Amino acid sequence: MRLTRLLVWLAGGGLAATMIVGAQHNGIWPPPEKAAISYAAAFVAITVGVIVWQLRPESRTGLLLTAWPFVALLEDLRTVFAGSAIAVTIGYATTWMGAPVLGHLALSYPTGRLRYRLDRAAVGVAYALAAAFGLATILLFDPRPQWDGTITEFQHHAAPITHIPGSEAAGLPDAFDRSLLPLAVLFIALLARKLVRSTPGGRRVVLPLAIAGGFAAVQFIVQFALVGGPVNSYSNRHPVWFWVVNGASLAIPLSLAAGLVWGRRARAVVADLVVELERTPPGSVRDALAHTLGDPTLELALWLPKQGSYVDAHGRPLTLPAHGSERAVTTLGPAEAPIAALIHDPVLLERRALLTAAGAAARLALENERLQAELRAQLAELRASRARIVSAGDEERRRLERDLHDGAQQRLLSLGLALQLVRAKLGPDVDGAADLLTEADVELRAALDELRELARGIHPAILTEQGLAAALKSLAERSPVPVTIASLPDQRLSAPAEAAAYFLVSETLANVAKYAQATHVRINLTHVDGRVLVDIDDDGVGGADPARGSGLRGLADRVHALDGRLALESPPGNGTHLHAEIPCV
Amino acid sequence: MAATVLVVDDHPSFRAFARRLLEAAGFAVVDEASDGASALDAVRALRPEVVLLDVLLPDTTGFELAETLSIDPARPMVVLTSSRSADDFDSSLARSSALGFIAKRDLTAAAFAALVDGAS
Repeated sequence: MRLTRLLVWLAGGGLAATMIVGAQHNGIWPPPEKAAISYAAAFVAITVGVIVWQLRPESRTGLLLTAWPFVALLEDLRTVFAGSAIAVTIGYATTWMGAPVLGHLALSYPTGRLRYRLDRAAVGVAYALAAAFGLATILLFDPRPQWDGTITEFQHHAAPITHIPGSEAAGLPDAFDRSLLPLAVLFIALLARKLVRSTPGGRRVVLPLAIAGGFAAVQFIVQFALVGGPVNSYSNRHPVWFWVVNGASLAIPLSLAAGLVWGRRARAVVADLVVELERTPPGSVRDALAHTLGDPTLELALWLPKQGSYVDAHGRPLTLPAHGSERAVTTLGPAEAPIAALIHDPVLLERRALLTAAGAAARLALENERLQAELRAQLAELRASRARIVSAGDEERRRLERDLHDGAQQRLLSLGLALQLVRAKLGPDVDGAADLLTEADVELRAALDELRELARGIHPAILTEQGLAAALKSLAERSPVPVTIASLPDQRLSAPAEAAAYFLVSETLANVAKYAQATHVRINLTHVDGRVLVDIDDDGVGGADPARGSGLRGLADRVHALDGRLALESPPGNGTHLHAEIPCV
Repeated sequence: MAATVLVVDDHPSFRAFARRLLEAAGFAVVDEASDGASALDAVRALRPEVVLLDVLLPDTTGFELAETLSIDPARPMVVLTSSRSADDFDSSLARSSALGFIAKRDLTAAAFAALVDGAS
């Protein structure tokens, strides 16, 4: 590919030189001094094109940039070497190709891809028209009879070698220009749309070429409006238009050079970024980078080496867009151990120097941000795993309670019925057997009581079956210290929230009975904004210390596992107030 | 003439002992059922005077089945029972159209007979 580009460049140079020399001797147009300016400019443009092609081989922009002045040179072969049938044939075949190549270049810059369907259609139609007219011209057009003694272009002209004898088709060149007119208007509209839809950073890149392309189209339309006829011959006759047309051609490589110069401003912009990062609060590096790069759509993906994945600043997993999608990805840091990736407008790839420099400047801040994101990701995972552990524990408690109820308890109850049957069969007391049966019955009842308390402590069936409100009422009724319930949620809440609230109240009531020497407890539960608020007050001795018992500590853990809060106020001698907020997730 | 009884419970051993206990006390246990659907079929087919009905059944609750039976043409008397105690249930128990509730641990032929005789 390198060789191809070298050969293309050498061919361009050779062609330009040949044409400058040719114009000195036998050309009919342009005059020697104008030819030197025109063709040297074309060679400069080819050189710029080949350099861009070399630097960005994956983009079609370099190829198009090279092709455009090349086509302009080929087109002029028919006037510089007007006497040569081969030169005239090549010249006429390529005469119309300049416009579609320019349109393609300006609309696809800088990625080299035409993004919108209408862009592709307009460029496709322009290429097809140019090819059709080129072919028609070399087959049907004989320039010689066109010379009326005024238009120098047709003096001494040879006919194309492919010309079909007898055909004249004098209106062909004019017809092409007419058919190009609506396309030129559409092209200006498409350029305007491209600018409007660009990000601010992208617009800065696209603007110089858009202005140059727009200028070429506008001058074409203006010329056409002035003469209403073949534009080429008109511009040939009027020296002002010569400069306008050549100025338009030169504007393209010059505008690219301007873009490159603009790129040098990157350093100044990055210097501002460094200052800005100094003042940036944690988590705002993305904003600073988006501002510096002029891309408000910029996303920051931070690489977590341990997880081997990207996350956003909040630690949430993030997938990079696939290659070839609408968004481009620039990885910062070494490829084997990246720090972060920027997901951005693909136009920014044209300002790679700025991207890399900004990335390097933000490196320390990004490292910092990455550590924070890592911490957040770990915290989120820890929180989720805590909630899972509590939930699995609750499920296990429910299962145990069901097993006790369906198994041992049912067997003991059946045994009770069996004892009754035995007693009935025995009739009058035989050797004190009735007393033994009574004792067995007492034992059985004690076993059933203990079993029931055990099952209730593990996970009360009433909580599963009838919900928090019913379970708390039953709890309050059994409490040795009188309990007033101010309010209870009137709907079922999530199972983890119900379990947490129930065990919170149950453990607190047990503590009150054991330590508080209270005469009264007040319980208030309200369901507000997806959270259940629990308040428990007693009039006891106070001085409860959360660090003292494992019970309260365990309750706090349970509440925290659900991302809730627990607060305890227990001034000595002044009762105890417990407040908890449990999210109903 | 002894009252006819249907025993409804999903535990086979409890059904078997309850049947023998009630039969020993002179009741005529006409059938047993292990869930709500077969209980309803048995009531319609056999028209027992009393149903001893467990509160927790695999396909329904004793409260709901008691409601259904109270508007059924057969209209048997319903005695609810459960391995749980009365304070494990909320107001459903108080609202129920059943004759009464006897916890399984307190279930004796005498307690059952007292409820049934009191009603008839």
